[in-house]
Formats: sequence, structure tokens, C-alpha cells
Amino acid sequence: MAGSTLTRRALIAGAGGAALAAPVLAQSLVDLGLPGGPSLRPLDPAFPGKGEMIVQRIRPPLLETPMDVFREGVIAPNDRMFVRWNWDMPTAVKAANHRVAVGGAVNTPVSLTLDEVAAAGETVEVVAINQCAGNGRGLSEPRVTGTQWGNGAMGCAKWTGVRLRDVLAKAGVTEGAKRVRFAGLDVPLTDGAPQFIKSIPMDIALRDDVLVAWAMNGEPLPLLHGFPLRIVVPGWFSTYWVKMLSTIEVLTGEDDSYYVAKSYRMPAAPITPEDKDFATVPITEMPPRAFITSHADGAVVAQGQALTLEGIAMGGAAALARVDLVGDGWELPCTLGPDEGPYAFRRWQVTVPQVTANLAQIGVRAANITGAVQPETLAWNPSGYARNVIERITLRPQ
Amino acid sequence: MRAAAIPLAFLALALAACDSAPVVTFADASITLPDDPIELPAGPEPGRTAVLENCTACHSPSTMLQQPKVSREKWEGIARKMIEVYKAPVDPQAIGPIADYMVHVQASQPPR
Repeated sequence: MAGSTLTRRALIAGAGGAALAAPVLAQSLVDLGLPGGPSLRPLDPAFPGKGEMIVQRIRPPLLETPMDVFREGVIAPNDRMFVRWNWDMPTAVKAANHRVAVGGAVNTPVSLTLDEVAAAGETVEVVAINQCAGNGRGLSEPRVTGTQWGNGAMGCAKWTGVRLRDVLAKAGVTEGAKRVRFAGLDVPLTDGAPQFIKSIPMDIALRDDVLVAWAMNGEPLPLLHGFPLRIVVPGWFSTYWVKMLSTIEVLTGEDDSYYVAKSYRMPAAPITPEDKDFATVPITEMPPRAFITSHADGAVVAQGQALTLEGIAMGGAAALARVDLVGDGWELPCTLGPDEGPYAFRRWQVTVPQVTANLAQIGVRAANITGAVQPETLAWNPSGYARNVIERITLRPQ
Repeated sequence: MRAAAIPLAFLALALAACDSAPVVTFADASITLPDDPIELPAGPEPGRTAVLENCTACHSPSTMLQQPKVSREKWEGIARKMIEVYKAPVDPQAIGPIADYMVHVQASQPPR
């Protein structure tokens, strides 16, 4: 949780210096530790159904989860899960009127009620991390433009719904289908602007654990999180987890829509900030990541004593294999906590037997079962996507 | 403004439920989002007014104000992208003043 510290700024409201004592309004600010700033973010205004959140933007809403939340457990409570909308979000949905159209390369286009979607197949629960593709973008060096997230645009929840493939079966996918595209109720404010629609390859769409979900941690999806239905693609970045799902479209070719063909793309091979022309690929699967949650950057620890560090880790698109605490020329394996499934956060713990002088720039490095491991240096890209460099902090023995 | 969520009725039936019973009951949902005060720091005109008139209709000022320090050319490029990609009804004549204002605001920002 590098550099996430709470500061308070007292704003004095009222005129002049003399007369009556002025009321003091305190506004809480969080310092996200973004190199070069601006780094302070407000914790207000409050949003309906949300607890304390870092308000990156009021409209359309961008709310970041304070790193403290990840100290408390692997599941983010619904009122602390991050929120991200590309376009203005609808603020009311009539359940009886909502329909999910399933069309495109299908045998019989259908328009399903919510009850018909829910009855399309077996009810399935998946514990999975929802993480914005731009999570940690604000920490990029050199800095890049876009939403300046710290590392809190992520959260793990239990999602309940039916399999996407069972919903597709209501219409019948035709031969030659290649991708499945999703659209929600959120539409652009301006004529001709690209709608936020996203597609996934057919083999992903047919997976056992790819859902049309209506519940998050056992509660109906809050509107801010996509009521009444959202797509859940465990292991993939949340850009594909389309909210307020209203259209499912089966494609027979590549998807040339803006948010797939032009945006949310990564360099196909490593680049430097000087590179201008390079091939790109869509961001899809999440890489492994790990975070220290027990100590903040700069925390004081007891010299000569044993020190226990704790945190969370994820394997990304495959189960977590191991987590190591790494320092300058040394590393220590961490003990993993309970396994909530391959796509969930998992807690880790490690004890440094005796604190010595050198706890500068320590970090935790996660690896998953496919051998993907967090890199020592940032795989810089101009959109700040898929950050998974080892996050480091410095502890100060005293 | 502190807005209240309208509670939702939600029912997940136990495993014992028969096949024909719904697994979930959907209720209507609505929320009231907080007001967006649209506060912009002082800065050169006509840029500040151009930002108010052209940018904040679609998104809060924090979208611009939280960006890392970038060049004037970059700000012009961002404004052009809003016009060309996101079809923002921005007068091309406003691009220069918008960039002037953003460069000024970023130069006057405190280090954090």
C-alpha cells in the first residue's frame, strides 16, 4: 500500500479575520503517493450505498477503494468495491421492463426478461477479483494520462448468476460464431460517440465460470455496480464485465468497435516511452499481483525484533502458486492463507526473524501456476494498463 | 449532498426450492447521485470559460485537474480526441484557450 496516507485539511469558512468565530469544515483527503502529483484526493461526496471511498470523479462516477479495506479480508464489502463508469450511468431501472436481447449469429433472436435469464440454467457462484485495466495507472513513471488510479481500482467478491453459455443457448449460437459482444444501458451523451460495448472470444464465453450475474456478495447488484445484471469473466480485467447488461450479440468476425479495436489495448511487445508506432493487442487476462497491507510505506518497525508482514495476492488468470518477500539480494517465502478459488485474493504472511538495518524497498512478488511472475521493473505502456511491477515500500527500523 | 439508496427486496431461495421456483426476485432500483459542484481554479480567460462551456457538460473537472503535468501539445491533442472520438460539441476555436488554461493551472499546482 505504497504511500496511501490520510491527511486532513482544515478549510476555514467565513469572512474576514475579526468578527465571529468561523465554522471549521474539515475535508478528508487521501494522498495516493502519485509521483510528481497531483496526488491528493477527496473522500467525499458520499455516494448512495457506498462507505468511505476515494472520489476520483463525481460524474461519471470513479470511486477508488482505500487500501485499508484490503487489510480486513479478501472480500471487498459491496459498499467499498471500486466503481468505474465510462459514460453517465442510468440512475433507475424498472425490473419488470428490463430485457436482455440475445441476437446476432443466433438461430432465434430472443428478448429475455430478468426471470427468464435467471432461469436459463443452474445458479452458479464464483469468487473473483474485479480489477480495472488501468489500476495503478497513476503510479506509472513516466506518468501517463487517463484516470489517475492508485492501486485501489480492484476488489474481490462472490458473484452469483447463470452461465453465459446457458443464456446463449436460449437463442442458439450458429456455426462460425467467433465472439460474443455485450452492451449495457449506459449510452454516450453525444451523438455518434462510441457506446461502451465489449466482446470476448467464443471459447471464453462458453467457459464454466463466465456468468451473467445478478448478485454480489449475496446482495442484488447495486446500480453503481451494474444492476440488474453484469457479465463476470474471472481472471480477465473488468473492462469486459459489462454492467446493466441489455444486449448480447454473437459475432462471426473480429470486433471492430472502438473499445475493443482502438482502446483498452497494450503494446504487443515491450516498448519504451520514446516508441511511437507499435503493434497492439487487447488487454485481456490479468497478471499476478501482491500487496503488503500490514504496513504502509515509511512505517517504523522495531530494530532487532521479529517482524510479521501480511497482505493479499492474486494469481490473475490462473491460481496463485507462491508469494515471496523480496529485498535487496534476499527473499523469504510467504505462507498462503485459505484458498477461496483460483480467481480470488489470497492472504499471505511472512515473519522476518530479526529486523536489521536494511528494510529499504522491500516488496512482495506473486507467481501463478502457469509460471507468470511479477517483474522487477514496470512494463511501461502509454495507457498505463495491467500494472503488475513488484510494489515496494521502505520500513524504518528504530 | 448525501443521497440515500432505495432498499431492494431480494430473495435467494434455499436449495430445497423446487425447480419451478425463481432463484432470485428482482425489484426496481433507483439512486440519487451526489451533485457535481464543478469548481475550477482561477486561470486565464477565455480558457477558463471555454473549459466550463465545453468540458464539464460531460464530466467533472477532476478529469482534467488530476492529470499529471503534460505539454500544451498534449492538452490540445486531448481536446481534439474529445471532438474526434467522443464527438464532444467543442468549437475547434476553443482548443487553444482550453490548452492555455490547463497549462496555467498545472504550472500553478502545489507539488502534491
